[in-house]
Amino acid sequence: MTEAAAKTEVTAGETIVHLERITKRFGAVTAIDDLDMRIRAGEFITFLGPSGCGKSTTLRILGGFETPDEGRVVIDGEDVTARPPNRRDVNMVFQDYALFPHMSVARNIAFGLELKGRSKAEIVEQTDALLDFLQLTGLKDRMPDQLSGGQRQRVALARALAPDPKLLLLDEPLGALDAKLRGQVQVELKQIQKRTGKTFFFVTHDQEEALTMSDRIVVMNNGRVEQDGTPEELYFHPQSRFVAEFIGETNLIEGIARGGDNGSLVIDWNGVDLHGTVQGPMPDSGASVTAALRLESVVCHAAKPANGRALAGRVVSRIFKGSRTTLDIRIGEEDGAVVRAYMDAGEAEGIAQDQLWVSWDSSRLSVLRD
Amino acid sequence: MTRHTRILMSVIYWAFIVYLFVPLVLMVMMGFKDSKFIGFPIRGWTLEWYTGIFQDAEVLSVFAYSMTIAIASTALSLAIGTWVACFLGPNRFRGKLIVFALTCLPAVIPGIISAISLRIYARALDIEPGMLAIILGHTVHNVPFVALVVMARLATLPPSHIEAARDLGADSIVAFFRVTLPYLIPALVGAGIFCMLLSFDDFVRSFFLGSYEPTLPVLIFAMLRSGMSPEINAISAVVLVLTAVLGLWAERSMRRLNRGS
Repeated sequence: MTEAAAKTEVTAGETIVHLERITKRFGAVTAIDDLDMRIRAGEFITFLGPSGCGKSTTLRILGGFETPDEGRVVIDGEDVTARPPNRRDVNMVFQDYALFPHMSVARNIAFGLELKGRSKAEIVEQTDALLDFLQLTGLKDRMPDQLSGGQRQRVALARALAPDPKLLLLDEPLGALDAKLRGQVQVELKQIQKRTGKTFFFVTHDQEEALTMSDRIVVMNNGRVEQDGTPEELYFHPQSRFVAEFIGETNLIEGIARGGDNGSLVIDWNGVDLHGTVQGPMPDSGASVTAALRLESVVCHAAKPANGRALAGRVVSRIFKGSRTTLDIRIGEEDGAVVRAYMDAGEAEGIAQDQLWVSWDSSRLSVLRD
Repeated sequence: MTRHTRILMSVIYWAFIVYLFVPLVLMVMMGFKDSKFIGFPIRGWTLEWYTGIFQDAEVLSVFAYSMTIAIASTALSLAIGTWVACFLGPNRFRGKLIVFALTCLPAVIPGIISAISLRIYARALDIEPGMLAIILGHTVHNVPFVALVVMARLATLPPSHIEAARDLGADSIVAFFRVTLPYLIPALVGAGIFCMLLSFDDFVRSFFLGSYEPTLPVLIFAMLRSGMSPEINAISAVVLVLTAVLGLWAERSMRRLNRGS
């Protein structure tokens, strides 16, 4: 596989795919609305969003199964917009794996190589290398219906990698696996991507999957890009309410901007001054703003800390979840707002029900764009 | 269900089975009778009639003729039926229902009407009565069965399989032959055997479209006119066994097919 990786001439980091202002409509529905996106060679990019957000359509346009109504698809400098799937250096791992039921594992993997007109010896050599690389050697002669879900997924991956594509498309390939296996496969998939150096274009609606594996996540909603960034950026600095709510659990804090500078903003939250960070333009003073605060960013103190910024509150609900405990904390008076914290179960026991203080790092309170 | 109805039901069932099989058993039995006349009492037994038909050059050549027609019309029906199914299956177009109904029509038209119209049509096309005319006639009748069975199978083929083949470098023709066709094999085996049986068994079309050279059912019919003889029973018994075996095998393939692969 190292040779296979070396064959890709494009060096990592350069643009390998450019989706140029793509629009795709199905009847009255706009599946993709003016999407302009560059994918860099060697990155693991995930399109994340609810069903119908346009992520799968984007994938199918890259694969050649759909033609955009507007815009161009450029792969490695070549305009492939009008090319059928069989004439693109792109391969796909299908959601249902789509293994050919009448072919053995080895024959499935060899399929793409055969159609590329490789010699018999070459096909055998490459198939064996892939079988070995994905730990499938013992299953070489099995038929697809004799494989477990995880094995099928690996065969589908091997088959798609065999023709040495410039871009590998993965259409929710972990959806059919049970939860336990999924976690393991996520790690495996990321390792395989690193070792092959291939560009992976992954589509999922599962935020955990996206966070675990991706170098870069594009969150889509209604055919438009909500946010494009690293998993950390998306998690701690969501730019929109949609992203904040879609990824992880979050406290949404609504208040009024009271000015600030250098990307830091003071928010009036029911009379309490909170400090948060802003990415991009500063909201006007007096404007109503929403900020996202992750549950685990909320720090609870049993005693009032020396730092004056902690807010006093009391616990209104406490849910034990094994290793962690969720606390709903009402800040201030009877009608005060509630903040949810997610903390170590042991530490949570030391927190008194009717008196505690909460604080957070102001960089974790991220003001949303809208 | 009460005990009485259960008993009544099983009595009716067994009565039906007896009604169904007694004639067949009688027919096979008479083939072993050591006499030129069919009927009771049976005074002696012989294998002569059975060995006779395997030595009778005419019977053997007619059998071969019928088999040739069955095989050829089956091959044609499979090719055309598969094409029709692949055309009708995934595509959506205006009037699809009408095209589908037209495709099924030959299967439900009464045999005699179909036979007469085919005879007239064959003459208009300058096709001599004989093997070719019979083959074409049987094919017209069989195509709907093939199309229906193949369409049912095709409906269970996940579209992603074709897409995967295209994705891995196959054009649509290669994808058909390397992915779709192998997937259809169980359906084609089942439909093929069914077509063979239909063709081999057909009397009306073969009678109207044939020349002086008879197919097996036509030969039996001709022999009947010159009087019943245990030889006819022997021929019929052999045909019965052959078709029953083929039919059961086809039924089993179809069942396997329905379970999916």
